This record gives sequence, C-alpha cells and structure tokens, in this order.
Amino acid sequence: MRPAIVIFLLLLLLFAPFVLDAYTQYLVNLALSYSLVCLGLNLLLGYAGQFSFANAAFMGIGAYTYALLTSRLGVPSLVALPAAGMAATALGMVVAGPALRLSTVYLAMTSLAFAELVQWTFIHWSAVTLGTDGVRVRWPAVGSYVAQGDKNTFYVVLVVVAISYWSALRIVRSKLGRAFLAIRQGETLARCSGIDVERTKTIAYAISAFYAGIGGALFALTIRFIVPDGFGLVQLVLQFSMVLIGGLGSLLGGLVGSLLLTVMPELLRNVEAYQEMLYGVLLVLFVIFMPRGIVGLLGRLGLVPQEILVRGAVAYFDARRRKHSGL
Amino acid sequence: MSELLTLIAAGLEVGSLYALMALGLVLIYRTQSIVNFAHGELLMAGAFVGYVAFQPMSWPFPVALVLAVLSSTLLGVAVERVVIRPLVNHPHATLAMATVGVSVAVRGAARLPFGSDILTFPPIISAAPVFIGSLVISAQTVLTIVLAVSISVAVFLLIWKTRLGREIRATQQNYLGAKVVGINTGKIYSSSWAVASAIGGAAGVLAAPLTLLYPDMGATFLLKGFAAAVLGGFGNPLGAIVGGIAIGILEKLVGAYFSTYLIEISPYVIIIVVVFVRPQGLFGRGQIVRV
Repeated sequence: MRPAIVIFLLLLLLFAPFVLDAYTQYLVNLALSYSLVCLGLNLLLGYAGQFSFANAAFMGIGAYTYALLTSRLGVPSLVALPAAGMAATALGMVVAGPALRLSTVYLAMTSLAFAELVQWTFIHWSAVTLGTDGVRVRWPAVGSYVAQGDKNTFYVVLVVVAISYWSALRIVRSKLGRAFLAIRQGETLARCSGIDVERTKTIAYAISAFYAGIGGALFALTIRFIVPDGFGLVQLVLQFSMVLIGGLGSLLGGLVGSLLLTVMPELLRNVEAYQEMLYGVLLVLFVIFMPRGIVGLLGRLGLVPQEILVRGAVAYFDARRRKHSGL
Repeated sequence: MSELLTLIAAGLEVGSLYALMALGLVLIYRTQSIVNFAHGELLMAGAFVGYVAFQPMSWPFPVALVLAVLSSTLLGVAVERVVIRPLVNHPHATLAMATVGVSVAVRGAARLPFGSDILTFPPIISAAPVFIGSLVISAQTVLTIVLAVSISVAVFLLIWKTRLGREIRATQQNYLGAKVVGINTGKIYSSSWAVASAIGGAAGVLAAPLTLLYPDMGATFLLKGFAAAVLGGFGNPLGAIVGGIAIGILEKLVGAYFSTYLIEISPYVIIIVVVFVRPQGLFGRGQIVRV
C-alpha cells in the first residue's frame, strides 16, 4: 500500500478512542494484540512454510513474562515488552533449534510437545506463575504516565503494533524475506540457490517467536488477567483460523483475520463447544476452498494490490494444484 | 519384586493402548505422509459410543465394542474422504492445519451432548483377578492386554498376508507405481483410514475404564501415541508397538519411584529427547531424500 494511505489510516485510528464506546475499544485493542500474534505465525507458516504448534505457547510465554515482570517485580512496561519477546525467542530456540534441522513432521511434533510442556509449567510452577489462579496485570505505564483504561492503552498497543508491522514489512521485502519464500516453495531449490536453509529457518522461527511474544504481552495488558488455559490448543486453532481466513503469506491478512475473529466469538461467548466447532470448521473450509484467505480473494479480484513476492507464491500454488489434479 | 511386576503389568496395560494409538498414526502416515492430529478424537469418539452403548443402554460389552469400532471407522473414513482427499498433495503445513481443525471441531461436537463433565466407565468384566505366582492381575488388565495384542496381530496379518495389505504396502511404497499397476489408490486411502480409525475406536473403548471419559481425552492419548511412534521411528509399525509398550511401562515406573507429576509430562519429554538424540527412533533408518 502507498505510504500516504497508511499514514491516513493511522491518523484515522488515532481518533478511534473518541468515537468508540469502552467495550468496542477493548475489542479493538484485543484484535490489535492478536494481529501481532498472527504476524508471528504468518511469518513462520505463511512465508517460511514451517508448521509449528508453538505459537500459542510463545504468546503465553510473552504474556506471562510481561505480566510477572510488571506486576510482581515492578519492571517498567517499556522494558517488560521487549523482554516478553526475547523470552519467547530464547525458549523457542532451545527447543526448536535442533528440530528445525529435521523434516516438517518432527518440527510439528516437537513443537506440540513443547507447547504442552509450557502449559504444564504455567499450571504447576505456581510459586512463580501463580498456577491456575492466574495473574492480574496492571495498566501499562510509560515513565510516570499510567495509561489507565482501554482508551489510553489503545495508544500503547497501536504504537507497538505499528512499529512491528513496519519492521515486518521491511523483513518481508528484504533478502531474508525472499529466502523465507524460497524455502517454502522448495527446500532443495532454496539450498541450490545458495540459501543456508537451516540458518534461515532458525531466523524465521526466532522472529516469529519474538512477534508472538510481544503480541502475548499486549494481549496480557489488554485482557488484564491471564490464566494458563488461555494458551492451549484452542488458542492455537483460533490463531490458525485468523491467519488462514485473513490470508496466509500476507501481512494484511493477519490483521483482517484477527479483526474478524475477535468480533465473531463475542457473538457466541462462553459457549466453548460452539466456539471450537466454529474455529475447527472454518479452518477446514478455508484450507480446502480458500487457502489464500480473504486477502488472497480480494487480491485476485484486483481490490487489494498483491505484493510481487506473494504473487509468485500464488502462481506456484496454482501450478502445483493443477499438476496434481491431473494425476 | 512383586511390586515391580505389578507395575510392569499395569504398564503393559496402558502401553498396549498407546501402541494401538501409535499403530493407527503410523498407518496413516505411511500411506499419505500425513500426521493425523485428529487421531485422538477418533479414540474419543469410540470411547463415547462405547460408553453410551455399554452404560445407559446396558448392551453387552462385545456389542458396545463393535459399535464403537464401527462409528470410529465411519468418522475416520468420512474425514479422509471429505477433508483429506482434496488436500492430499498439498504441503504438510496445510494438511496439519486441516487435521487440527477436524480435531477441535469433533471435540466441540462431543461437548454438546456430554458437556465438559467427566464420566466414568465401569470395568468391562468383574471376573476374579488372575494369580500368577505372587502376582495379582485384575481380569480387566488381562482382557485389555489380550484384546490389544489380538488387534495388533490382526492388523499385521491384514497388512502382510492379504491382497488389501499388499495393495496398501504398494501404495505406501510408490503412489504412482501403484496407480500404474491398477490399484485403486483412492480405495486404499479410505481403507488405511478405516483400519487406523477402527484401531483407534477399539483403543478408545479399552481405554475408557482405565482413564476417564471427557471430550479432551483424545489429546493425552494423541501425545502418548506420538511419543510411542517417535520412539519407534515414525513410520515403523513394529517400532510403534514396542515404543508404546516401553512408554507405558516407563510411565508406571517413573510414577511409582519418582513423582506422579512426571507421568503427565513424560510423553513430551520423550518426544523432545528422542528428536534431539536419535531422530530416526529406535528402529527407524536415517532419512534419505532423493531429489
């Protein structure tokens, strides 16, 4: 998108708190935090093509790091935010580093084991995480200013999200971003083109964990009370659905998906069964019928400009599908 | 000594169920290179159908078992035909997402009639325990182990001794080659899923008296099944069975001599350790990919 349009939209967002009621504001904050979590997932899954179960766990690590640092140790929010991202990255590297060298199947299973282990730790390491009682999170403070209320935290969230999206855009358009796409399209080919596949995958994993961690921190300061249950499989499926419905391999997609799916569950709040069925069925339907998501569809209709890199990937997917349906 | 033997017997009981789980996972993986993250829900579906038939309906156990196996099989075949078949040549990531979606949707569907309550499944038989020397084993344990072993043997006979088994193996080895020699690979996909889901359903009914019944029960078994399959070298049926039994016994020993907390996290730790130390598993060969 043109910078002018982006700046215009951002300015428009700056005035959002004056128009929205408190609850809608809360939903917007929540959707923005989710969009960051999805950004992490999308970089790994949509761009680098690596399937991992760990995103909800990274989000949880970020949320817990932020919540515990600020409310139990009194660390300033501006320090706790990057710390949340870094904690997620560091823990992710410990487990995923070696698994990334193996085939996709092993990464999937190792990350599933890792995610369960993280959740188990949240529940049972109650001396630190307070276990199933959950952790209360204070309003974020910048210096001596305390961003009290959802309308004020909105600006904190907005600034973090804007910086993250800007940096992600830079990454995607860099040589590194092209290397991600090359790996997704074929590891052997990428290796033959002189890309260090293991190293690039590890970097993709680290970056994705970092964004998910920061997103988790924003989630914690938006929702203001976190429990271990919030970062389990259902959370992960929600994130898969968001990324897929919005558009895999499109930064805009994660944003669209998180906005849509943050509002929708409010319609069936507290009915776990219906939420699970909705996410599950949506996920399957989109995987089969609209693998490029809403943004992909809009792009095909010419309503949203497609990035050159992504267009290449779409062509690749279409060709692949044609080839196999002819079998 | 007799305490150790009792623990091993209990380990064999749960281990044989993990082995069944892993066997189903490996079958599907071999045929379509899909890791079926919805396999736990096939087990859960079997367990719930078995429960409804055995408890509120109070039909005899064999009828409950057959019904459970049938319904799991139907569910599995339907999932394969509707969700997996259109995606079969897509990247791993796409397939994994689809099976995860199925898993959560089925779980939600099970929550509608049964809620999140925890149900108990009474022991299948109330015969007197079996005495072997100083060792006392409940009839339930004996029945579970015997049934699990016979199911495994039946599956191996099916794979190695029948025409269908030969066709399944051919499809596993070379999809295009199998098509060329006239094998209906679509049918093979369906039958692999049918066999795997039937094993899962049977495991569900056998597991129900041992654990408890709740819509999330599949997740635990799925992870234990993964751990077993990974330990045996993912893709090796015999390895899956050995891995499952090893994990069952290990779990009981760790629970008795160290801490019961460790039982919960043992499958995760095993998966991570095996992947780090010996990713090809105990029985697998190193991966060689031809470009």
